[in-house]
Amino acid sequence: MSARDRILGAIRESLGSTPRDTAAIAAEAAALLADPDAIRPELAGPSLTESFAAKAWGLGTTLDTVADMAEVPAAVSRYLAQYGLGPGLAMQQAPELTGLDWSALAPHDTVAPDEPVALGLARHGIAESGSLVIHSAPDNPILLGFLPLHHILVLERRRMLPHLEDYAALLGREDGIPRNAILITGPSGTTDIEGSYVRGAHGPGFLHVILVGDEE
Amino acid sequence: MTPTGPTVGLFVTCLVDAIRPRIGFATLRLLEEAGCRVEVPPQQTCCGQPAFNSGDDADTAALARQVIAAFEPYDYVVLPSGSCAGTIRHGYPELLANDPDWGPRARALSAKTHEILSFLVDVLGHVPQGRRLEASATYHDSCSGLRELGISAQPRRLLADVEGLEMRPLEGNDVCCGFGGTFCVKYSDISGAIVDEKAEAIERTGADLLLAGDLGCLMNMAGKLKRRGSSVRCFHTVEVVAGCADGPAIGEET
Amino acid sequence: MSAPAPQAGFKARAAAAIADPTLKIAIDRTTGTAERKRAAAVAAFSEFEAARARGKAIKDHVIAHLDHYLETFERNATAAGAKVHWAASDAEACAIVVRICREADAKLVTRSKSMLGEEIGLPHALADAGIERAETDLAEHIIQLAGERPSHIVWPAMHRTREQVAELFAEGHHPPPTAFDPATMVQSARHELRTKFLSADVGISGANFLVADTGATCTVTNEGNAELTTTPPRVHIVTAGIEKLVPSTAHAFALLRLLVRSATGGELTQYTTFHCGPKRPGDADGPEEMHIVLVDNGRSRMLKDEFREMLRCIRCGACMNHCVVYRQIGGHAYGGVYPGPMGAVLTPVLAGLERSRDLPSACTMNGRCAEVCPVQIPLPTLLRAWRGRSWRERLEPSGLRYGIGLWAAVARRPRLYRFASGAGVRLLRRLGKGGWISRLPLAGGWTGSRDFPKPAGRTFMELYRAEQSGKGGPS
Repeated sequence: MSARDRILGAIRESLGSTPRDTAAIAAEAAALLADPDAIRPELAGPSLTESFAAKAWGLGTTLDTVADMAEVPAAVSRYLAQYGLGPGLAMQQAPELTGLDWSALAPHDTVAPDEPVALGLARHGIAESGSLVIHSAPDNPILLGFLPLHHILVLERRRMLPHLEDYAALLGREDGIPRNAILITGPSGTTDIEGSYVRGAHGPGFLHVILVGDEE
Repeated sequence: MTPTGPTVGLFVTCLVDAIRPRIGFATLRLLEEAGCRVEVPPQQTCCGQPAFNSGDDADTAALARQVIAAFEPYDYVVLPSGSCAGTIRHGYPELLANDPDWGPRARALSAKTHEILSFLVDVLGHVPQGRRLEASATYHDSCSGLRELGISAQPRRLLADVEGLEMRPLEGNDVCCGFGGTFCVKYSDISGAIVDEKAEAIERTGADLLLAGDLGCLMNMAGKLKRRGSSVRCFHTVEVVAGCADGPAIGEET
Repeated sequence: MSAPAPQAGFKARAAAAIADPTLKIAIDRTTGTAERKRAAAVAAFSEFEAARARGKAIKDHVIAHLDHYLETFERNATAAGAKVHWAASDAEACAIVVRICREADAKLVTRSKSMLGEEIGLPHALADAGIERAETDLAEHIIQLAGERPSHIVWPAMHRTREQVAELFAEGHHPPPTAFDPATMVQSARHELRTKFLSADVGISGANFLVADTGATCTVTNEGNAELTTTPPRVHIVTAGIEKLVPSTAHAFALLRLLVRSATGGELTQYTTFHCGPKRPGDADGPEEMHIVLVDNGRSRMLKDEFREMLRCIRCGACMNHCVVYRQIGGHAYGGVYPGPMGAVLTPVLAGLERSRDLPSACTMNGRCAEVCPVQIPLPTLLRAWRGRSWRERLEPSGLRYGIGLWAAVARRPRLYRFASGAGVRLLRRLGKGGWISRLPLAGGWTGSRDFPKPAGRTFMELYRAEQSGKGGPS
């Protein structure tokens, strides 16, 4: 007998052999998600953006706001200048980014093991937790968000979601379930040495968000 | 005073019976003051907690039946101990759940069993007046009373009405003192280390008195304080609330 | 089972831990911070109790339909391109992982922290197979350098002070750190492990959740090491216990809110990552193969007894952070893979009660662990269940059995008890000096570290009876 059959057999023996009603199980599972406001925190601010910003700042994520995508390269330049970084940066090859005027900077499409800065697009922001969502894709290598020391994400305000459940509901609706879906909630950190917090353990030590668009 | 209130079976608990009877008399006094008719059933010995916590369910069940039979005639069962009250309230019904005769009787007894201070506040609504004690004190929440019976506000409420008594907060007031019944003898190194930390916290308050609601925990903490050479004196909370804390503290019996 | 079992001598290990002042400092620093941060996070989340009840219900639902969810997960993970393996035991699980590594011709594997991996003894299995293993979680990296096992399920190296970590890094890092403050040492580890991440042939991770309706596995980390472990190598292997299932991503989120607050006092970990199958056509990076090893190792057995409730455990570590025993002796004294209250329930399942009888007994039953458990596991009740089994199977020392038996026999005879207690207290009084007894026969454990108050001399029942007869009526 295969291990699979042994395990499932042991489980069924332990649970008792009641006939399985898949629809009833699904209904029970759905009921466990009812009234989500009863089991999640209220937003930290009066609007999605303010709530997101409050949480993000609390985590050490920095934030800049611009009116439209065309202003993104200038915002990136400001950030690089603030940290005394050069014009080179690894950039996600998304048309929303590659189509911008990068003449003042030197973006490239690969990410080196010791890459100082990377720029990508956040798929969503989550107001509840100050999280940013990225999905793996042909134009979006996962390592872009993990090898560099500085990770800059561009987030369009209209992509902001209130709660984690709102993201779960969208997952798979837009272009199927991605191979990697990652919620990034603050810069990489560790408390493994005596509980003292140190940033930049393996992933980026700096997380910067450029929020695009006007408050509605 | 002619009692007009309910009839209460007082279970003094085996530790109070043997080590510090004055806790039992303080409890008796409070109940009578509150208008209860109090009886002390002579069949009482121990609630069985040492056997229960050792996994000896058969002996625990035998003692549970003895306690149920002795105390079921009363309107209420009252004990000066959160942990013994917790055993009757939760342990008995759990242990005898499948017994067609004793299961319902265990549940019935559970429903009318109370620790003394929560009984005064929650059931009788009685707050003794005119108590006076010139001292500073700190209070340790004994775990069973706190977590099994929700005893937290009631003793504080009663102590607040004792004139002259200054209550000082205890750091880690809800952290176990390391007594744990047979644990303190079976794993004495661990227990000793836990109560050492507790004693340090008690000493840091600078209070004259340590108060708590379970004699086992009190003996553990008092014994450690004594070994450390501390001058903190230890009383059961009911002794203070009953106005009986003018005598010897734990370990001051001559 | 081949999982590392507790060595004999829990009491000796505990005594040695208590005698180590450095260990106590290290434990207090980490658990103290964790306790404070959790309290603040819970206070800031007014829906916590409702979320906790829901979290329990979600886990109970999955456990009640575990076969259904396992099959659903297998179907969806397979559809996403992952290969699902089943392992009934720790040995089977290790054999599967080693086989996959050999087929991948792996020289170097990276591993991101997984308690299940420790449970099945994977580090040893890889070593026995001659495969180099690089632990990538900072704490796991520290204990790999030290040749130790985790002492905590969230902070595996919490027993080591920064000075001790400095010694390990000075010897184990090439080049050694330039300074020995935590920040510089973390940077040193970052550089040391960067080449390992990028040159590994296989990356092994655990899973905090297995999402049935998508077939994804979910990891949560703060360092980002899980993504660096699972992305560059050609092969990604997940080892996960079968109790990790959740119906959907939304259910995982409901549990995550509880997990992170309970573990570290955060709201979410820095990285919450869902891994759904291997690299897709055109993907910029990612593993060519993804294998998921579903491990039973005693779990299906737990389903049918009182320990079923333990399958709700989401491995947050709050129970140990709030345990007075753990905070005195640390994790290694427990001798198993899982320490603290949850370990005292699980280790007897994994290693057998006979070899771990002390763990359920070495608890004061104060209930704080159950109070903080985010999925409402009645840990003291489960520990007491082990004590009951230990008693019935006659594993308890005969002295204790005899003592409790004798005491109970007397306590069941009120008149004899009354006589014995009266005589007993008077005998005890003779041992005392002043109000105290400093040496007690048969209870040297008590008086080894504290005094015992001298009894009053007459029992309550004697005094009460005398008082009643003085009033002129029988009691």
